[in-house]
Amino acid sequence: MRKVIFKGTALPLLLIAPQIAVTMIFFYWPALQAVWQSFLIQDAFGTTTQFVWFENYQYLFKDPSYYNSMAVTAVFSTAVAVLSLGLALLLAVMADKQIKGAGTYKVLLMWPYAVAPAVAGVLWLFMFQPSLGVLAQVLRNLGLDWNPLLDGTHAMVLVVLAASWKQISYNFLFFLAGLQSIPKSLIEAAAIDGAGPRRRFWTVVFPLLSPTAFFLLVVNIVYVFFDTFGIVDAVTHGGPAKATETMVYKVFQDGRLGGDLGGSAAQSVILMAIVIGLTAIQFKYIERRVHY
Amino acid sequence: MATVELKGVRKSYGTTRVIHGIDLEIADGELVVIVGPSGCGKSTLLRMVAGLEAITEGTIAIDGAVVNQREPKDRDIAMVFQNYALYPHMSVYDNMAYGLRNRGMAKDEIDRRVRAAAQTLELAALLDRKPRQLSGGQRQRVAMGRAIVREPKAFLFDEPLSNLDAKLRVQMRVEIKKLQRQLGVTSLYVTHDQVEAMTMADRLVVMNAGVAEQIGTPMELYARPASVFVAGFIGSPSMNFLPGRLAGGVVGLAGGTSIPVNGAAPSAAGEVTVGIRPEHVEPGAPGAPLKLKVELIERLGSESLIYGRLEGGGELTARIDGEREIATGATLALGVTTRHLHLFDRASGKRLN
Repeated sequence: MRKVIFKGTALPLLLIAPQIAVTMIFFYWPALQAVWQSFLIQDAFGTTTQFVWFENYQYLFKDPSYYNSMAVTAVFSTAVAVLSLGLALLLAVMADKQIKGAGTYKVLLMWPYAVAPAVAGVLWLFMFQPSLGVLAQVLRNLGLDWNPLLDGTHAMVLVVLAASWKQISYNFLFFLAGLQSIPKSLIEAAAIDGAGPRRRFWTVVFPLLSPTAFFLLVVNIVYVFFDTFGIVDAVTHGGPAKATETMVYKVFQDGRLGGDLGGSAAQSVILMAIVIGLTAIQFKYIERRVHY
Repeated sequence: MATVELKGVRKSYGTTRVIHGIDLEIADGELVVIVGPSGCGKSTLLRMVAGLEAITEGTIAIDGAVVNQREPKDRDIAMVFQNYALYPHMSVYDNMAYGLRNRGMAKDEIDRRVRAAAQTLELAALLDRKPRQLSGGQRQRVAMGRAIVREPKAFLFDEPLSNLDAKLRVQMRVEIKKLQRQLGVTSLYVTHDQVEAMTMADRLVVMNAGVAEQIGTPMELYARPASVFVAGFIGSPSMNFLPGRLAGGVVGLAGGTSIPVNGAAPSAAGEVTVGIRPEHVEPGAPGAPLKLKVELIERLGSESLIYGRLEGGGELTARIDGEREIATGATLALGVTTRHLHLFDRASGKRLN
């Protein structure tokens, strides 16, 4: 890469200013606001505000429903990441083969990504709505007492499906690009070296895809933590009985609906810390085993 | 060690035919080079032997057994790719061991073979490195190593030297040939470089547009090219071609010059192409029939290349002793010995004498 050396500091500062400004205004400022807010308690009418240090946090960690949302998030994010990454990889491997209609196949696979989360949620809600849904009927006919409105596990399955379905397209695209960047001669060399298709995949293709897989893992974790709000909101509202209340949904529930701005801010700060922590861990431990 | 036999091998993609029937027999331990311009089908032919491309028609047999329907791994061949195709995430050792592990060989036998190959190829100190930490020449050697540890029936080389710089290419060319001799493994080698082809081959196959124009030893092809294509492809600088008219054992060139020829049937007559290699003209020979107006001289030291225009029309390149003084613009009289004259039919391009 070519390096340009600037003489003064004014021009370089000016050049990075827009980027810094965007980050400051849209990330650091709200983040700091949240941190500040999390130290405050407001009365119900917003007339008095009291600085209480860590009282909001102490309260949170005594609250069993907060631990519930953590557990829900853990189950939800693991399920979505595994399902969407696994299926996307499988689909990409299929699409990478030279088959007829591969172009159409790819375009069709792309579509879910263009659907807004809330719309996706509603779509799945309709399909699996116990009394109206087409697929719910099928499940009932199979003898399964399907009811996501009452059964927490069913509700979880539904949001996991909807969230994964939306993310598969994105993962698929990256996996396909990753697969296509692997030189064909490597696969041929492995074939001559006596490796069957399955062995070729696990010993040559998958290791070479690992940078892509790692990147997607990070992106997917961030996705399930934050961007699935719309799906949860549209499909289950966090219910039944908080069975699908993820951490980000609880932030909304407590702050926006419950009016507990301080507690909600404290939750956002914790959520932020968790995501930053997870990403750091991924970079530190998983990246080492990734072959670039 | 084995023979490789191609019988009437054809290849089509849909209705497009790319290889029009190749017959070739490679003897045990022989190094056969397929040479031709890009797009002539030489790589496709090699890939068909490897099992990476389906054979449309004809048969390919390795060691007497027809392998048309066999998977690449069941053909017992090893291939060296143009871009080496080393597994980037594996060490040099694992790259070489991969094919053996896939075949379920015992660990200590794998270790013995890999270390022996590394010794031969001077890779012993690099076994723990990843391919990206190696130079081009070293990667090339690892690719060779991966082929030789397998001890296959045949080696297939797909332009293995074309990614190397000129100096390394000459060096590796010698190394590969030596190694092939030492191991005595039947080899098929594809290249577009005629010098590489000439220097390495026991026998050469010159391919053009999916057809084998000529098969023979390098010297046979040099001395008696079967067609204008082969004549132009083999030898550097390339052969000069002049239009002429053959009648009664004498060929008449433009400008009224006529040269006697032998070898052609006395009755043969008609429009011909006369081929003269740059190294086969003699300046200042008595009664020299060709008058060359010198336009450009390239001095290479031991020899000089003279580019000029013939008096009767047509361009000609001559290769002469470097010590001879010649000035640009001068006219040079050039003689040609009859036995070095190549005659081709103008229409078909086939050799006449």
